[in-house]
Amino acid sequence: MTALLDISDLKVTFNTRYGQVTALDSVSLHVNAGETLGVVGESGCGKSITALATMGLIPMPPGRIAGGSIRLADEELVGASPARMRAMRGADIAMIFQEPMTSLNPVFTVGDQIAEAIMLHQKVSADRAFKDAVALLDRVGIPSPAARARDYPHQLSGGMRQRVMIAMAVSCRPKVLIADEPTTALDVTVQAQIFDLLNEIQRDFGAAIVLITHDMGAISEMADRVAVMYAGRIVEEAHADDVLDFPQHPYARGLIDCIPALGREDHALKEIPGVVPPLHLLGAGCAFAERCEHANDRCRHEKPLLANHGHHPAACHGVEEGRI
Amino acid sequence: MSSSFLLRRVGYGLVLMLGVVVLNFLLIRLAPGDPATVIAGEMGGATEEMLESIREEYGLNKPLIVQLGIYVGNVLRGNMGESFFFNQPVASLIAQRIGPTILLVITAQILSILIGVFLGVIAARKPNGVMSGFVSVFATIGYAVPVFWTGIMLIILFASVFPFFPAEGMQSVRLRGADVFTKTLDIAHHLVLPAFTLAIIYLAQYARLSRASMLEVLGSDYIRTARAKGAAEKTVLFKHALRNAALPILTVAGLQFGNLISGALLVETVFNWPGMGRLAFDSILRRDYPTIMGVLFFASAMVVIANILTDISYRWADPRLRGKS
Repeated sequence: MTALLDISDLKVTFNTRYGQVTALDSVSLHVNAGETLGVVGESGCGKSITALATMGLIPMPPGRIAGGSIRLADEELVGASPARMRAMRGADIAMIFQEPMTSLNPVFTVGDQIAEAIMLHQKVSADRAFKDAVALLDRVGIPSPAARARDYPHQLSGGMRQRVMIAMAVSCRPKVLIADEPTTALDVTVQAQIFDLLNEIQRDFGAAIVLITHDMGAISEMADRVAVMYAGRIVEEAHADDVLDFPQHPYARGLIDCIPALGREDHALKEIPGVVPPLHLLGAGCAFAERCEHANDRCRHEKPLLANHGHHPAACHGVEEGRI
Repeated sequence: MSSSFLLRRVGYGLVLMLGVVVLNFLLIRLAPGDPATVIAGEMGGATEEMLESIREEYGLNKPLIVQLGIYVGNVLRGNMGESFFFNQPVASLIAQRIGPTILLVITAQILSILIGVFLGVIAARKPNGVMSGFVSVFATIGYAVPVFWTGIMLIILFASVFPFFPAEGMQSVRLRGADVFTKTLDIAHHLVLPAFTLAIIYLAQYARLSRASMLEVLGSDYIRTARAKGAAEKTVLFKHALRNAALPILTVAGLQFGNLISGALLVETVFNWPGMGRLAFDSILRRDYPTIMGVLFFASAMVVIANILTDISYRWADPRLRGKS
């Protein structure tokens, strides 16, 4: 069976003042219908670029899709006409963004903004679309939806706004829903509610979800499978439980070690030393080598490829050599 | 929109106008020279007895504060005084001329906003494109070139070399008995060159401002959301972005109104447009103080009204400024 969304060997470059940098380097991902794929990694790993590339929203220039393919239900999206991409965006593939505070247009009511999404893809009257918008607000758990639909974004809380974004995203029953750090800007209690809502929505609407996050907790709660990204490459990919219980790549181990646990004796929070290197400074070797306690000369000079060296696929010489 | 906001805003406007009246009065009274000799001068010289009787007649020998009281009282009753030069009440002089000025200023304002914002939006689509460069150069020229020069150039080009439009005036004399429709068309025809002359400076500023404002707005998250919905680029630009980018444009449009009126003074002079600007020009040359004061009063009133309208439209355009419902 072919996957619903199938990204293979995707390469995205950007022209910057440091010259051309490769933001995504042979990224391959797939999501099946009804499945949730978690994409994890720190800021600057290429998670959001992957999402934007899938939506056809990479600003070009300076961005460029330099190779690879993105197939949605067997239709190639790389090189599709702008009109075709527009017809697909919001209808077949929708996205929820990280910042609910700034992702809604401040000068239109939330009801109108949802109704607009409906009218862009369905031949319905403005009246019908607004009624549908109210029903969607009700569905995403907003109290007195008819009144809230006439509110402007600034009159709603962050959690409410993210619910509005979700209502807008699912308004045309997309096949794939990309959620780019949907809870990062929200309170912890609200985070849990939003995850519950996304799970419900997935059950009701049958959408595949791509959940982009840096939070391993979110992954354990939501994801069926996980892809770990680092510096524009996928460094590990497997079922969520496998990655959480048996992380292979030192970066994945580091991310999991960063989850604070109740009752743990050591009080200092763990961290991965250093930061993601700027893309224009990437060398020939493993991008994680500088931050990796297991790195050797080979790591610093030869790029590891994603391959199964035992438990599940990881891109690490150390795992391949059995050192880690 | 709350009515208390409107009331408060109009209240401020009235206080401001009272200030204008007082300042106007003091400005003229504190200027060097005795008004009586000026009035007498207009009448062709005078003896000391005549000057004294003029002072008596105009109340010039009363204390300044009493004179101010009398003047403010007169203005409140709609009496702006009598023009020294035209020998007519100032109020009726202005009544004849305020219409053409409002017509000119509002047409120029609409032209400059519509064309300027359109150019700015187009330029913002491709910040490094040809159109963007054109807008920047055009804006610099627009700022730099004096309005009377633009006027003269437009007259030479479009009234003389290519005689599409009349060079001066507001109405053709030969159409005196024509029907309303023909007359309206005739006025519109006369309006083209002066309105464009006045519009060009501000048009350039609006183009630059809306380009900058659009560029800022186009980088925001909600624009990405609009694109993610599948909205067409035209909708993204003119609906989602422009409504937000319009907020600073509105502010400037309100502030610009005062400049527009002073610009109208020059344009009306160049095109012989029968408005308040030319009245001001004539009365300044002839030291016709009551008329100058009257013109200043009405020009200030127009600016105050324009600012109130700006405040109202600002609240209409930005729901965040309205009270919570």
